[in-house]
Amino acid sequence: MLPTLRLLLLRLRLRGAARACPALRQGSTASAPQRPPGVGPRRPASHTCPWPSPRLPALEPLTSPARALSGEAGAKDKTPVMMRLLVVLMLGVSGLVVLLSLYQEKELKRWQQRVEQLRHMVVGQGDFQLVDHTGQPRCKADFTGQWVLLYFGFTHCPDICPEELEKLSGAVHLLEKDPSLPPVQPVFVTVDPKRDDPAAMARYVRDFHPRLLGLTGSPEHVQEAAKTYRVYASAGAPDEDGDYIVDHTVLIYLLAPDGLFLDFYTRGKSEAQIAHSVRRHMLTYRCINQ
Amino acid sequence: MSAPSMEERQACWGARDQYWKCLDKHAEDTAECRQIRLTFEARCPQQWVKYFDKRRDYLKYKEQLQEGQYQPPKKTEETATHT
Repeated sequence: MLPTLRLLLLRLRLRGAARACPALRQGSTASAPQRPPGVGPRRPASHTCPWPSPRLPALEPLTSPARALSGEAGAKDKTPVMMRLLVVLMLGVSGLVVLLSLYQEKELKRWQQRVEQLRHMVVGQGDFQLVDHTGQPRCKADFTGQWVLLYFGFTHCPDICPEELEKLSGAVHLLEKDPSLPPVQPVFVTVDPKRDDPAAMARYVRDFHPRLLGLTGSPEHVQEAAKTYRVYASAGAPDEDGDYIVDHTVLIYLLAPDGLFLDFYTRGKSEAQIAHSVRRHMLTYRCINQ
Repeated sequence: MSAPSMEERQACWGARDQYWKCLDKHAEDTAECRQIRLTFEARCPQQWVKYFDKRRDYLKYKEQLQEGQYQPPKKTEETATHT
């Protein structure tokens, strides 16, 4: 598009120059001073091709239409074209702005719909009675008013739980960097209450985020909590040492301050992606519920 | 028996990674990697060794599927169950 515009402008300049200088029109070089090729708008008289020679100098950039307008002779001729160009540009830019805002609105609507759908799944509705790693009893009400990132796992986990908890801790650290956001409470609930008593949980959580809270309890209460969050957990067969691995759902849950489940993050999500999603939820949550 | 600490976990993972690197180098020839295998078994709980062996089998199986070279085993009992 730009080369075509350049040619257009060049033609206009030449037309203007021809009007001012009859010598060019008539093709006479008698009074024309000798100019080295490639300099100035005048062409050699013998050159009858209507199209500009490729050796002509570069044109002024389009960003300075004022210069072009106030320039040489034939300025009146250029104004309508420049004005038209400007109008077209402005229309184009405003069109883009409108499209962008429409797209953003659509994205927000889609986001809100997804949040509504997840809420309808009614995960995490029930209460739980657990004990934290300091031995203090905790129930669901203790977490209302706070954003929570929740993970179910067990301390004898070979690799998945440490990795997910590292990721969770990383996401919380990233969110902490923004002082305008409310704090997020990281929580780790065991699916292996037989071995993971408060002392075992305390030893485990200190390797991760300083505010990571470990929750355990009686097998019945833990099972109840797992059921509330639709977490599957199944202990494998123990070996000679009595060691066993618990197969379980690997998900990080996001709970809103009203205690309801808002979103989840699988193994594939990075800590940056989780932090970004949580931030987005925090901002849209305020928008919806204010 | 308490769970391994962070240092113990990392020592175990390091030994596992070395063992797997050795297997990659020697095309799954366990005889060449006997010494490293013993270190791996010493540093990791038995359950974890079994778990990582299954994980290795699964990763290799996935690789073969992706390359279109998978050969199903002759007997189904030989197939490892994956958790």
